[in-house]
Amino acid sequence: MAENVIKLQLNQQQLELMDRTIARGVAADRAALVRLAIREYAAARKAETSAKPNDLEPKR
Amino acid sequence: MSERQILFEHVLEPGTGKAIELLKGQILRIEQVEGGQCADFNCFNLHDYKEFMHCGRTRTVHGFHPTKGTFMWSAPPRERAMLYILEDTVGRNDVLFPRCSAYVYEASYGFSVHTNCHDIQAEAQREYGLTPDDVHDSFNLFMCTGVDQDGHAYMTRQTTKPGDHVDLLALMDVLAVPNVCGADVMRTSNFALKPLKLTVFAATEADLARVPNTPVLASQRTPKDFRNPTIKSDRPLRRDPAYRSEFPNTPIRITELAVTLSPEEFAAFKAVKRTDIYGEDDAAALRDLLFSWWEERFLQAHAGAPVIESE
Repeated sequence: MAENVIKLQLNQQQLELMDRTIARGVAADRAALVRLAIREYAAARKAETSAKPNDLEPKR
Repeated sequence: MSERQILFEHVLEPGTGKAIELLKGQILRIEQVEGGQCADFNCFNLHDYKEFMHCGRTRTVHGFHPTKGTFMWSAPPRERAMLYILEDTVGRNDVLFPRCSAYVYEASYGFSVHTNCHDIQAEAQREYGLTPDDVHDSFNLFMCTGVDQDGHAYMTRQTTKPGDHVDLLALMDVLAVPNVCGADVMRTSNFALKPLKLTVFAATEADLARVPNTPVLASQRTPKDFRNPTIKSDRPLRRDPAYRSEFPNTPIRITELAVTLSPEEFAAFKAVKRTDIYGEDDAAALRDLLFSWWEERFLQAHAGAPVIESE
């Protein structure tokens, strides 16, 4: 299966938050941070769905 | 000091309010005399009336029914904790409803004159040179409210008894303005107007030790930080020909970030992306996912509220 490229449109404030998060050692660079977000967010939704079907909203 | 010292006592008669200088470290107790009475409450920074208690900020931080262990916050850009709710024997207050006004009683009930919280507040704070335009939304003590399924706020009766009280500890010098709610033809105070007792105490060391720490941030700005710190002293609005806008962080610049996803990552993204909102716009859906994830992982308090030490 081919790789997929998604071109995010981000403003300077959003990039600042990403860069401060990266500076905390969470990910190596911006793209890695996005990939980490996908993995963790998807895993959290999967866990929620297993625990409570029909509830895809994050707990806030 | 191990016992609270009484500094001031006053009974608010029905239809009245009282502006009280409540200094940092003093406690205002608002107490039921007969029970069943709503008290509207406002406060201002005693040394700068432009800083005042803001229900919108307060309900964002503490919800619709703030009670013991929460703060009353000032409006942006100050956003400081002005008062701490040290005690609340009932635990049912309201920051949804505005103060009632003469308009309400005329429009809905046909009264040409009727006791109402806006006018009572205005009359009480007139003692300190403030105008009716300076009254702002009140923190409604002992008022039972909720939100119905259609999103409308409603009020219902209360079950407070004589002696029930709320203790408010001043974290700065304030002008505190409590009043007996003027609503006798609504459920707010069980269809009657009754007195409320006010007592001001000097807080003890034990009282002061109960206050959690709140963050002190650069964004809590005061007039020394304002581009225009001068209070306008006339009523008409006129354009300043010298004005040049200085909006923060403008212009907003968009940067493209291309992210290559493995087949597994793309499948994971497809499984959770919000097509209900973004349709086939994967870039927008991924941006949503990114910052939704960030909120889940890093936000420490509800809805952008500050992190309060004991919470």
